[in-house]
Amino acid sequence: MTGELTVLAATLAAVTDLGRSGGPALGLPANGALDQHSARVANVLVGNVDGAPLIEATAFDFSFQTDADILIAVTGAPMDVYVDDVPQPMWTPLFVEAGQRVELEDMRQGMRTYIAVHGSFDVPLLLGSCAPDTVAGFGSTLTAGTALALHTRTAPLTPDAANLLGLLGFGVDVPYFGPGAVVDVTDGPDIDEFAGTVLRLFGKPFRVSDKSNHIGLRMTGRLPVREAAHEVLSRGVPIGAVEIPPGDELVVLHRGRGVTAGYPVLAVVTPVSLDALAQVRPGELVTFRHATLRSAAADAHYWHDRLHGLRQRVDSIYTSVGRADLRIAA
Amino acid sequence: MIASASTVAAPTALPVAIAACGPAAVRVTGATGDAERDWRTVHHLARRLTEQAPAGFLGCIPTYDAVLVEFDALEVDLAAMIPIVQEAAAGIDPDADLTEHPRHFEVPTAYGGEFGPDLDEVARITGIEPEDVIRLHTSPVYVVRCLGAPGGSPMLDGPAFPVPIPRLRSARTHVPAGKVSVAGRQATITPAAAPGGWLLIGATPLVLLDLEQNRPVPYLPGDTLSFHRIDEVEFRRLEGMRLTPAREAQR
Repeated sequence: MTGELTVLAATLAAVTDLGRSGGPALGLPANGALDQHSARVANVLVGNVDGAPLIEATAFDFSFQTDADILIAVTGAPMDVYVDDVPQPMWTPLFVEAGQRVELEDMRQGMRTYIAVHGSFDVPLLLGSCAPDTVAGFGSTLTAGTALALHTRTAPLTPDAANLLGLLGFGVDVPYFGPGAVVDVTDGPDIDEFAGTVLRLFGKPFRVSDKSNHIGLRMTGRLPVREAAHEVLSRGVPIGAVEIPPGDELVVLHRGRGVTAGYPVLAVVTPVSLDALAQVRPGELVTFRHATLRSAAADAHYWHDRLHGLRQRVDSIYTSVGRADLRIAA
Repeated sequence: MIASASTVAAPTALPVAIAACGPAAVRVTGATGDAERDWRTVHHLARRLTEQAPAGFLGCIPTYDAVLVEFDALEVDLAAMIPIVQEAAAGIDPDADLTEHPRHFEVPTAYGGEFGPDLDEVARITGIEPEDVIRLHTSPVYVVRCLGAPGGSPMLDGPAFPVPIPRLRSARTHVPAGKVSVAGRQATITPAAAPGGWLLIGATPLVLLDLEQNRPVPYLPGDTLSFHRIDEVEFRRLEGMRLTPAREAQR
């Protein structure tokens, strides 16, 4: 252990990663960062692999201090970031010296903000992932006083290197976090069971209820109605499945979803739009938009390519300021 | 080439039908016309794909008659994944046993009252006495069909009730670990506390989920399981002990 990051204040925050891909085969959901894109960008900016453990702060203020020099990046839902009371930008690497206080305040839009640290943390794993599983009872939330063991120290930049870094810029595409999200869905495998009323999904917007969480988002609106009445055997359900369980709400399953369910799958939210849903607040309206499998894949590839470009840019910038030690492969 | 339709046609020779579930998953459903053969087919397919681990493959969720194949849409296109699934499905023998040496698990269960608050409701729905519900539930040797939600639940074929059991209209927000439940033509035990819409007829004092193990639950699809009735005193005595295999299952 080379140092510790100590949480000063937290309400709803945890260390997570991109999820437990080996979990579903054993009955455990993937879980992991709900906004996968923002989490990946945070790790890339600090020279980590995409799947390195990082902090997910949900909805509320979060602050910490470390006893070592570290390199961090803050992405996701917009917040005010201060290092020893000096405002700092999100979506860019920040060098933080031992003893400095990092405070994230006033999440104005969205729901989840990510903090990656170069070298990441030493945390327990379950099936290769540190992602909390609230149902199985794995992982713990961060509270004031929690200490996270750091893998590496990061020497601060020289003033010249800092100036150069400021001039170069990382050119990250910052997603939209405001209200009125538009959510792309492709046809689900059971769409025919809703034959006459499928189009209701694409009519008026749906309002996200406050019973929503990482397992799924519940929404009210004019619901499609299942016409078939036969009992459905439990089946594996994809992340993003749109279901209409008994009651007056529509459910979109997210990364914490139970891996099997006995409800027909009307539609499936695209991977890119799942990131957008991760940032929707209770009470906000979302509009579903019909997408083809082809356009959904093309969207995923567009962001994948942007991320690849960012990785190369981060690599070359760190090299050009004389800090090859921070490169992702290093 | 992928159309926007949700169903992708498979060659007729295959024992499965393949349907897209968005750009990052396909649902493969057994199409042999027989529930046992469909079950074996989808589990064999899941194992094959898991062993092959083609590029971009994340994992499989095999259940009763279907398997959800998940992959990273950034690494592999749906259009490339479907032929891989078709090829893996092509050589499967739907009659080949799933497990060479199935293990058997005995599940001590206290029925009714605080243990199974819906026992009387299941009796009412089925038109039989609560004692008969218990008798029907403890009679069979069940095959673990698959691992489901929450927390690796052993998913079973339901007891021979006269009618299927409808799920609750409004799901409970908290079902404790260890509850023994039924819904539709299915039965299960919940290894972890979670919301749930199944009807609770009993509870086992044994612990099913152990996160310290490589496999968090002790049973696998193809293993067998049976329930036997215990009273409250026995329940308290066994509380917190782990579920372990009783013996190799009889073939």
